[in-house]
Amino acid sequence: MSWNAAAEGPVRASEQAVKAAYLHKLAPFIEWPAAAFGPPDEPITLCVVGADPVSALVDDAGGSVPRSGERGVRVRHLSANDSEAGCHILYIGTPGAAAVALLDRARGKSILTVTDAAPPGSRRGIVNFVVRDNRVRFEIDTDAAAQSRLAISSKLLNLAVRDGAP
Amino acid sequence: MTPPREPLADDSAAAATPTEDRGAARAAAARADRRGLLSAIAGAGAALLVIAGAFVVFYSEQSYRTVKIQQADAQTRILASTVTAALAFDDRKAAQEYVNALAVDPQVQVAAVYDASGTLFAAYARSPATAPPSTVAAPGARVEDGALIVVAPVQQASATTGWVYERSVLEPISRRIERYAVIGLLVSMAALILLLLAVAQNRLARANDTLAGQRQALAEANRSLLAQIAQREQAETALRQAQKMEAIGQLTGGIAHDFNNFLQVIQGNLQLLERRGVGGDDTQRMIRAAIRSAERASTLTRRLLAFARRQPLNPVPIDVNKLIVATSELLRGTLGEKVTIETALAGGLWRVAADPNQLENALLNLAVNARDAMPDGGKLRIETANAHLDAASSAGDALPGPYVVIAVSDQGTGMTKETREQAFEPFFTTKDVGKGSGLGLSQVYGFIKQSGGYAKIDSEPGVGTTVTLYLPRLAESPDATPGAADARPPLRGREDVVILAVEDDADVRAHSVALLRELGYAVLEAADGAAALDVLHRHPDVQLLFTDVGLPGGLNGRELADEARRRRPRLRVLFTSGYARDAIVHHGRLDPGVDLLAKPFTFEALAAKVREIVDRAP
Repeated sequence: MSWNAAAEGPVRASEQAVKAAYLHKLAPFIEWPAAAFGPPDEPITLCVVGADPVSALVDDAGGSVPRSGERGVRVRHLSANDSEAGCHILYIGTPGAAAVALLDRARGKSILTVTDAAPPGSRRGIVNFVVRDNRVRFEIDTDAAAQSRLAISSKLLNLAVRDGAP
Repeated sequence: MTPPREPLADDSAAAATPTEDRGAARAAAARADRRGLLSAIAGAGAALLVIAGAFVVFYSEQSYRTVKIQQADAQTRILASTVTAALAFDDRKAAQEYVNALAVDPQVQVAAVYDASGTLFAAYARSPATAPPSTVAAPGARVEDGALIVVAPVQQASATTGWVYERSVLEPISRRIERYAVIGLLVSMAALILLLLAVAQNRLARANDTLAGQRQALAEANRSLLAQIAQREQAETALRQAQKMEAIGQLTGGIAHDFNNFLQVIQGNLQLLERRGVGGDDTQRMIRAAIRSAERASTLTRRLLAFARRQPLNPVPIDVNKLIVATSELLRGTLGEKVTIETALAGGLWRVAADPNQLENALLNLAVNARDAMPDGGKLRIETANAHLDAASSAGDALPGPYVVIAVSDQGTGMTKETREQAFEPFFTTKDVGKGSGLGLSQVYGFIKQSGGYAKIDSEPGVGTTVTLYLPRLAESPDATPGAADARPPLRGREDVVILAVEDDADVRAHSVALLRELGYAVLEAADGAAALDVLHRHPDVQLLFTDVGLPGGLNGRELADEARRRRPRLRVLFTSGYARDAIVHHGRLDPGVDLLAKPFTFEALAAKVREIVDRAP
């Protein structure tokens, strides 16, 4: 099933672009444990799984988004069966068994998992994009973040929508 | 001579005053300086306070602005950092919440967030009137229209992701003035208190100065009062003395006058008896003894009259120095071997108008006293000088003016104060009974007073005595008439000269007539003025009118003479009187052209005087 089937056309395209940009913008508000990086100037690796519209836009969005910190962000495109190792941010836009497996694998590791419009009750990433009032918002699973030893900026947390709440 | 002495109190006062004045002036100046310094310090202190107050206000204003700017800056920075995520994720709602949070600060009027392109993203405005600008303003902090505007960038890493704008009101100037007014009030009050203190201190100092001045003036007044009292006492003593002498003078004068008349008769008759050779040798001897006694009595009354200032004087211009030189031989004889005489005669001495015989007498009397005061010998010193008595130095009864001073000093036993005060009184003597008459100094006193001068005694027991005589300067051209040739006229009278003798006392008249006839003159007589005029009318050959000055019955001797001369201009007149205070004697001096024979007169004196007048060219 597609939980974002309702959105079609240019609006949808714009929505995908916003999500692509948001993937880049998340990085400055996240703090990874030092062990997540090798050398100090190692860039943040944004891994995009699958071939959904967001995935296609992520590379371009990087240019329009201000560089995040000293590290910068590099994008890796993965297939559902690829290893998540080396990823700091892992976007899983397409739901399914492969996605769930990936999420399970990433659990506990210092990887900020991001899902797109995963319905309540289903497996979701630490950050889950939702659309509210025709705007792209996100939910944050603080417990999962804690498990993954990720510190999420309160600024970001303030913007998060509650589960099931508007 | 002894210079006129001023009251000692005056000297010391005069000497003390200037230095004290200078000292007081210095002290007053120092006090004024202190007052000025105090005022200056108080003024400077007040000014300093005001300046400090102004500085505090200025500094407070400055720091207030700084604090406000810092505060606003901090607020905008906080907003900028909190709004980063909202901007990043385009969450206007969240941004609005952040912006609204600033509304708790009542001074924040407007708060706004702009995105990276400068477009308004979220805004809070306290009132509709203060809308935020639609596009972001220039970054930085500034004051515009009394409002503080701060624009700060929203930065993520090193990138600017948007802008924050805050507009807050500074505290209104009226509120700040209110706040500063409290400071101003405090400062003004402090300054006022300081100035008031200074003024009060100044007043106090001034009051103290005034008090000091008053105290000094009081002391001054007291000093001059004491001096005045001393002067007054001296003057009163002198006055008392003068009054006493006057009273004694009147008493002695009255007695002496009567005595003179009696003596005239006694003496005259005795002389007639002697001249006529009455009785034998024994009788003549007795008559001569009586005559001597009468003469001594006559001398005595003369001296009494001299003291009473009723002896007729014949003042002529005298050079006192010459007179002293002429008299010094006589004085030497009087003083004897043991006493030397020394004179110190001032050159250019003024002339005086005085009776030379009486002045000689006075010098003689003083010399005799000096001799008696120096039984073991010593020195008599006679000094002369010109002196000017001023009002201050002419204490007592002397008048201010120019005087010739004759000072006679001895080195004798001196006098006590009591003796000195009584020395001029008649019959007062310290000499043994029979040695002194007690009339020497009183003659001096009477003569000098009658001559318009005054006499004083300075003496100290054991040191000596100085008698100083002051005779008024003669305001006259020099060398008018030094005593004319004194050729003695022949005594005998002339038969062809008819004399009219006028005298109310029958005894005296008889005596006078007898004397004149004895001298060889033809004599007519009358008892009063009217009778005399009648005789003159009937006897045009009368050449000389010999009249007593004091006559009863309307016309006195002077008036009789005037009337007679009005009728007979060539008639000559000789007055006689026992009493100088008469119509012909003014101020103790004979009027010019008037001849007077003082009673009691001797046969020789009468003869000489009558002859002188008769022989005088008409």
